[in-house]
Amino acid sequence: MARNKLEPDSLSSEALSSRGGPWEAQLRKGALEMAALAALWNGRLYGLEIIRFLEQHSQLVLAEGTIYPILNRLKTEAMLTSEWVEADAGHPRKYYSLTDAGRQRLRLMATAWVDFARGVDNLLQPVLTNQEPTQ
Amino acid sequence: MTSTQPTTQQPTTQSIAAYLAALRLQLAPITLSEREEILREIAAHIRDSFEAGTPIDTVLSRLGTPAQLAAEYRDGQLIRAASRSLSPLTLLRATLRLATKGVTGIIVFFGAFIGYITGGALVIGGILKPFAPNQIGLFTTNTTRDVWKQTGLVTNDARHEIFGWWGIPIALVSGVIVLILTTLAIRLFLRLSQRVQRSL
Repeated sequence: MARNKLEPDSLSSEALSSRGGPWEAQLRKGALEMAALAALWNGRLYGLEIIRFLEQHSQLVLAEGTIYPILNRLKTEAMLTSEWVEADAGHPRKYYSLTDAGRQRLRLMATAWVDFARGVDNLLQPVLTNQEPTQ
Repeated sequence: MTSTQPTTQQPTTQSIAAYLAALRLQLAPITLSEREEILREIAAHIRDSFEAGTPIDTVLSRLGTPAQLAAEYRDGQLIRAASRSLSPLTLLRATLRLATKGVTGIIVFFGAFIGYITGGALVIGGILKPFAPNQIGLFTTNTTRDVWKQTGLVTNDARHEIFGWWGIPIALVSGVIVLILTTLAIRLFLRLSQRVQRSL
């Protein structure tokens, strides 16, 4: 019996973005901070642009309420600066940019993340290649 | 744009205003200037999302309830502020918040609690010693031929006191050291927990 058969659907990014356990919320929250910094690597963006950027480039669909407190915290930690810019839309938007410290932090995070992910990938390789556990 | 039709505008404006008012209330512990900045940004977000064609109910539900959103802001604030604070009350509150989030937090909370109680008891004992010299101190009791020590901070059956009046500075100094170490340990833990959250 393929009792433990992995359903490919359960690994899709769509499934990951839906509600999961508390561990998943923690993981996403932690990764989100790095993702927010990464979104600003190429220049300043405002909150909604960051959300759209993450959706387009990583399928990280997020509850929008989580990104603003994260940006707020990163700003207090001097990883980001912000400025209000009067937009064409007729109302000002709060644009965020990376500070030097933010760039530095993101570089360190990226290196650590890639090492970490590589290790986890190695661990998960058997899970993904052998679809059914040998009984 | 269809979203600004007069028929939908009225309830929309109302629900946005209601959301922002509720958020303002929930953000009360945060300083005024920062609170207004947050509200301004969230208002801009709602407006941009709505004008891009997202139904207002969807926009607001994606933000979470005002209570949830405000809690995300306050969580960061409390722990950040506490990691720089010297007040036992603030520090205990922050560890209590962390205690709701995991086993490590619970252990740290009880450690902090015991640390403050021990340090506080030593300091109070040192201060009260002059008023009750025979009740407060570290004593040994000799019984028959066996010499065994019965030690305790408070006892009425005093045979021999170990430190005598030296007990006062010893209790005060060690109490203060315990309090300082407890404070530093909590702050270190709060900083580390912030870093762990960041670097996960």
